[in-house]
Amino acid sequence: MGEEVEAQMKRIEATKGVIGTLVVDPDGVPIRSTLDQSMTLQYAGQLRQLVILARSAVRDIDPQNDLSALRVRSKSNEIIVVTALVYIQSPSKV
Amino acid sequence: MKKRSGWSSITSPIKKSSGSGLCQGSLPGNGFNQKEKPEDQKRRNKDLIGRVRVVDADGDDVTPRPLVCPVPGFQKSLDELFFSIPKLSSSHPIGPTQDSLNAEIEDIFLGQTHPPPQLFKKGDDAEQHAREKMVGECDYISLTETETITFLDIPPTIISVADDDAEAVIQRNLSYAELCKSRMCSDKYIDRSMQTLNGALKNKLTQSEKTGTAGKGMAATNWDIYDSLYKQNETFEGEEADHKEKSVSSRSNTTDTDNTISSLSEMQICGSILNPESEPEKEILLPELLTNISCFMERTVVLDAFQANLAAYRQLPISEGSDRMAKHGKHSEESLDPTLELLWAFTCELTRGYCITSMAWNRQNPDILAVGYADFDSRCLKPGLICCWTIKNIMWPERVFHCHSSVTSLDFSANDQLAVGMFDGTVAIYNICIQDSSVACVASSSKSSRRHLHPVWQVTWTAKRLELSLADVLVSVSSDGRIAKWSIRSHDLDSTDLMWFRSDKEFKEAAENLKKKKMVLSKPNAVCVDFHPTDFGIYLAGTQEGLIHKSSFSEGHSFLATYKKHIGSVNHIEWSPFSPDVFLSCSSDETVQMWKQGRPVMTFKSIHQGPVFFAKWSPNCSTMFGVVKEDQVEIWDLNLSIVFPTIVHHAEPGVRLTSLLFARGTDCVLVGDSGGQVTVYKLKNFRVGESKQLNKMRQKIGQMLPCLMSLHFCCHIQMMNIIIKHHNSVAGVMDGLWGSRPVQKDHGAH
Repeated sequence: MGEEVEAQMKRIEATKGVIGTLVVDPDGVPIRSTLDQSMTLQYAGQLRQLVILARSAVRDIDPQNDLSALRVRSKSNEIIVVTALVYIQSPSKV
Repeated sequence: MKKRSGWSSITSPIKKSSGSGLCQGSLPGNGFNQKEKPEDQKRRNKDLIGRVRVVDADGDDVTPRPLVCPVPGFQKSLDELFFSIPKLSSSHPIGPTQDSLNAEIEDIFLGQTHPPPQLFKKGDDAEQHAREKMVGECDYISLTETETITFLDIPPTIISVADDDAEAVIQRNLSYAELCKSRMCSDKYIDRSMQTLNGALKNKLTQSEKTGTAGKGMAATNWDIYDSLYKQNETFEGEEADHKEKSVSSRSNTTDTDNTISSLSEMQICGSILNPESEPEKEILLPELLTNISCFMERTVVLDAFQANLAAYRQLPISEGSDRMAKHGKHSEESLDPTLELLWAFTCELTRGYCITSMAWNRQNPDILAVGYADFDSRCLKPGLICCWTIKNIMWPERVFHCHSSVTSLDFSANDQLAVGMFDGTVAIYNICIQDSSVACVASSSKSSRRHLHPVWQVTWTAKRLELSLADVLVSVSSDGRIAKWSIRSHDLDSTDLMWFRSDKEFKEAAENLKKKKMVLSKPNAVCVDFHPTDFGIYLAGTQEGLIHKSSFSEGHSFLATYKKHIGSVNHIEWSPFSPDVFLSCSSDETVQMWKQGRPVMTFKSIHQGPVFFAKWSPNCSTMFGVVKEDQVEIWDLNLSIVFPTIVHHAEPGVRLTSLLFARGTDCVLVGDSGGQVTVYKLKNFRVGESKQLNKMRQKIGQMLPCLMSLHFCCHIQMMNIIIKHHNSVAGVMDGLWGSRPVQKDHGAH
């Protein structure tokens, strides 16, 4: 992974309020995680379905749109999922 | 059998037998000939010598032409044949005659001829007689059509109402209907059942190959259809792309398209299997994807963490999670005095230890801030830094550009170019869209022959009126006494002088005046410049001697006007964004001067000593400006007070404040210091002045100050600008008005 990305990930993890981070590849396999193994697998498995559902919902309404972020806010914490475009379409500048 | 009059001697029914058509015609079966013998015989034995001729009623010869070219000997044999047929048929039974006939025909074809006289001799005399008789006479054959033979006639059961029988049919129908009705009770009819015998069925078995079937289910969603269509179009373009990438992306495509929720578990298994193979391929794609994601994620997380502060910046109501009140920023606990509230600070490890020299907002995207860093401790050409920060991510700058020299000034142009002036005299233009520092520097003046040799104190973009449009022109001010206008040619900048300071007389005069102060002047030169916001081309230049020169593009090296008020070097000049002929100047003589129409109208001096580095107008409020001194920042609001700054904020010990910037559209101010930090403060409890209030104030001042020369009102975004003519007598009156507050003193002769 690029150095910049590494540095960014470290900064994210160091931000106040962040419990852990998890990076998942397009097939759903976790690449990098700061949580323990069981939590990682759980989150990866559960969130994958949710992300697919959310993406399907967004794209059903407008096929040219795509899901960029998904937030699940619960009583105890908040999960933020950020997805990338896998298709090589006209990218939106972040 | 009906008697048929055939066409000629050749009778119609065709039967297949050996032999040619012609012979066939004549052969039809002895059955015919047998019965027709007595009548047809005469007909047939027409012209034995000549050909057979058929003549119709009109006398035309309608003899059908023979199908086969007649062989000379053939004709004869045909006649023989005619004779032979009845002869044979009469004498012999049917069966063997066929064979003998066949044999004869064969002989005929082979060219052999039977002696006809033999037959004659055998034959009847009666026939011969008849034959001889018939020679020369014409036989008349009448050809008629037979009647139409109807094989099947099913008359319809529907007839037209207009038909003749219609009435009768209707009557019959009616009577039948009545009959049907009466059928139930009458005794005339008995019910009987019938059985139809079905024919015996026969089973027949056939065998065929089994057609293979496969079931497939898909959820055809809107995006799925769109993607398939898009992929179809893309395959042509994408063929040249890297195959590895395509394979990975296609694999992930398939996972998404075939991925109904039921098959997810399958995919996960596949995923783990695929993983070891596709590792190297994925490595290519991952960094690019991850950059985007991690960037976005960082922003999201940071926004979350600093949500309250950022909301305050944006003047949004703060969310429930915090204990702040959402209305007007007023706290019941804290005082209602205007104060600066710390929101956050732009700082990171990279910038620690640097001194901030300049800050500028991006004109196109007001969230982007460019900050120039310099390292002045060692006083040598240490590499400087430019960081582009964004409000969305306050933890880390979006862009970091390393410069070979300390950065002394920055400015953004209207079309997103960042002009940088450096301590070694280089002027460079950066394109902030590019991440890489070396590539981002679009143009530089380092190779130019007319570059500045002394530090560039200010760079600014200004609009110059061309024929049809406004072009951005870059102007820089440097200690070498030149104000230069730059033009960009490919990657180099080239300059033309706008102004040039050289006068020695002035220098001497100023030097005498300055002997009291501890100012050191090396050469008269401009330190700052500001262009008029609306009147393009007119600019003010402040010099180290304390003079302010007004000039324009077209003027060249002469000045339109010169304003002398300051004693020390003029550090910053700024036109008011609301009023066209008001500007503010600050100098190292610890004063800030406000000028109107070229005359100094107000002087602001606070209690605290120290050279003033910056004095900037607020872009939101016409009566507010900020002043930066070495260890404090002051916010003046002329509505509230013209003698004292409304807010005085002290710097932390050990840190010098060096730069100030107002945020457009929001009531925040940014302060840069020598520790590499840009602190964002919110102006709290500042009342946005209403016109009514100002009117009152104006009236109040008007009553008190009879020598009020001009009151300038500029109604712009509810703000008003009050300028009071400063006069010696005014000072005395003001003394009385405000009580025992210190009186401002005029400096200088003018």
